[in-house]
Amino acid sequence: MNNILCMNWGDKYDDSYVEKLKEQCEANCTVPFKFWCFTDKPEKDWHIPIPRQGLTFIKAMSGKWIPIPTTLDEFYDEERGFFWAYRKCHMFNYGQVHDESSFPNNSKFLFLDLDVIVHKDLKYFFDLPNDKPWIVRGWWNDILTVKRNYAKHKSTPLNSSVILWKKGQMIPVWDHVTANAELIFFTYPSLDNYFAHHWYDPWNEDNGFLRGFPQGDIYSWYKGNTFPDDMELKKLRTDHKICLFNNSTQIEGENDDEIKKLWL
Amino acid sequence: MAINQFNIPADTFVATALFFSYLSPDMEEARNWKQTFVNIEKKYPQYLRSVASATTVAQLESKLWVIEELQTLKIKPKVVGILAGWYSNFLTPLLLERLNVDFIHNFEMDKDVKDISYLFNKKYKSNNRYKCDVVDVMFEKVCNKENEYGDFDLIINTSCEHMFHMRKFREINMNCGYGSDIVLNDDTIYVLQSTDDNQYDDHINCVSGPEELSKQADFVDILYSGTKVLDSGMNRFMVIGR
Repeated sequence: MNNILCMNWGDKYDDSYVEKLKEQCEANCTVPFKFWCFTDKPEKDWHIPIPRQGLTFIKAMSGKWIPIPTTLDEFYDEERGFFWAYRKCHMFNYGQVHDESSFPNNSKFLFLDLDVIVHKDLKYFFDLPNDKPWIVRGWWNDILTVKRNYAKHKSTPLNSSVILWKKGQMIPVWDHVTANAELIFFTYPSLDNYFAHHWYDPWNEDNGFLRGFPQGDIYSWYKGNTFPDDMELKKLRTDHKICLFNNSTQIEGENDDEIKKLWL
Repeated sequence: MAINQFNIPADTFVATALFFSYLSPDMEEARNWKQTFVNIEKKYPQYLRSVASATTVAQLESKLWVIEELQTLKIKPKVVGILAGWYSNFLTPLLLERLNVDFIHNFEMDKDVKDISYLFNKKYKSNNRYKCDVVDVMFEKVCNKENEYGDFDLIINTSCEHMFHMRKFREINMNCGYGSDIVLNDDTIYVLQSTDDNQYDDHINCVSGPEELSKQADFVDILYSGTKVLDSGMNRFMVIGR
């Protein structure tokens, strides 16, 4: 079973982003899939609610009431803002255990951020070999800068806007985060930086737990495509599969109009 | 190629001159340092600025401070672990030459930094008195890193502002090993430095003073606690304890 997941919490993105992503997937995926949204405002039948702080039990897609841990919330320091996308970690646990109550055991999961534009058939991703999970390798980064800034927790080569895994494959990540939550939330400014330090090796890029999507698959609207030859910003590359709009330096909501114009 | 083409700031020249004045005259070692800067420019040009930042008067002051206070306390370690020691271009030679330490083991997370540290400490690496391993010291134990000189009797971390509280390191390494092979225990002495300078993004754990630094390490026996204003203007805090 192929699953496309997204997440929506807080107020940065309204429901139109989720609707638009779903619409893009339906228009650009030639294999059967189910679309799920982890959300803190469950309204649609494809929503998987994210528990808000203090809410212990949530309604799952099966219709049963099941507990989802809220334990990670206590480690997040809003003032520091480190590891702010930690809620994404819930997808590496939810329904991933070896039973078929949520997802069949051969399930594949393609996570997409809400601020992406899909150019090509997403079947490509579900056909990739699944011996390792996949994540966006930001080819727009200069690898020498990545290495130089490694210990400074800057210039992260990975981007968690698109992640692909088969059922259960990301459980080690969930286990590591939950076992070291205090340390991880204190140390890493972002989930991407955490991934780069613990599940990837910039010195030997074929050696990590995570594998980067190849060059030519995914590019960034705000950061370019491939260093150093194709770094033009704000350029659509429709021969690629996906365009990312995230930009760690931008103010929340600043890019709304820009991506919405490109939805048309 | 002339070394002054590399835009190394005057601070680095002065620090290097001062550093060699603290070591016994050794022209071979001086030539190695000079060649190291040339090699870094060729092989690791992206690190040249960082090497210069590690080779300043302030950096030297903070490392000499470690040596001076250990001498005052009459602590004579034989096997020293350095956490996140960076290139260890000052601290390793000073510990080996001034305190007669037998062996230094540096634990760094950056693979290129490890290689560059070997360029600076070529002599000590070749006579098995210096080793660097790639380790994230807050997540991985260092006590199972074997060396032929025995257990650590001193751990130095002059980079506490860059990482989580030192109590975590002590927790994961405490009583690691079996019987007589226990490498770190309650008697292991720690030298810790940090700062309250929070202007840098990678200073994720600034402290208000040496008291907070001791507290973060769960020290029960404080042998030294002090503050120094470095040449750069930065407040530097140091505690020695266990």
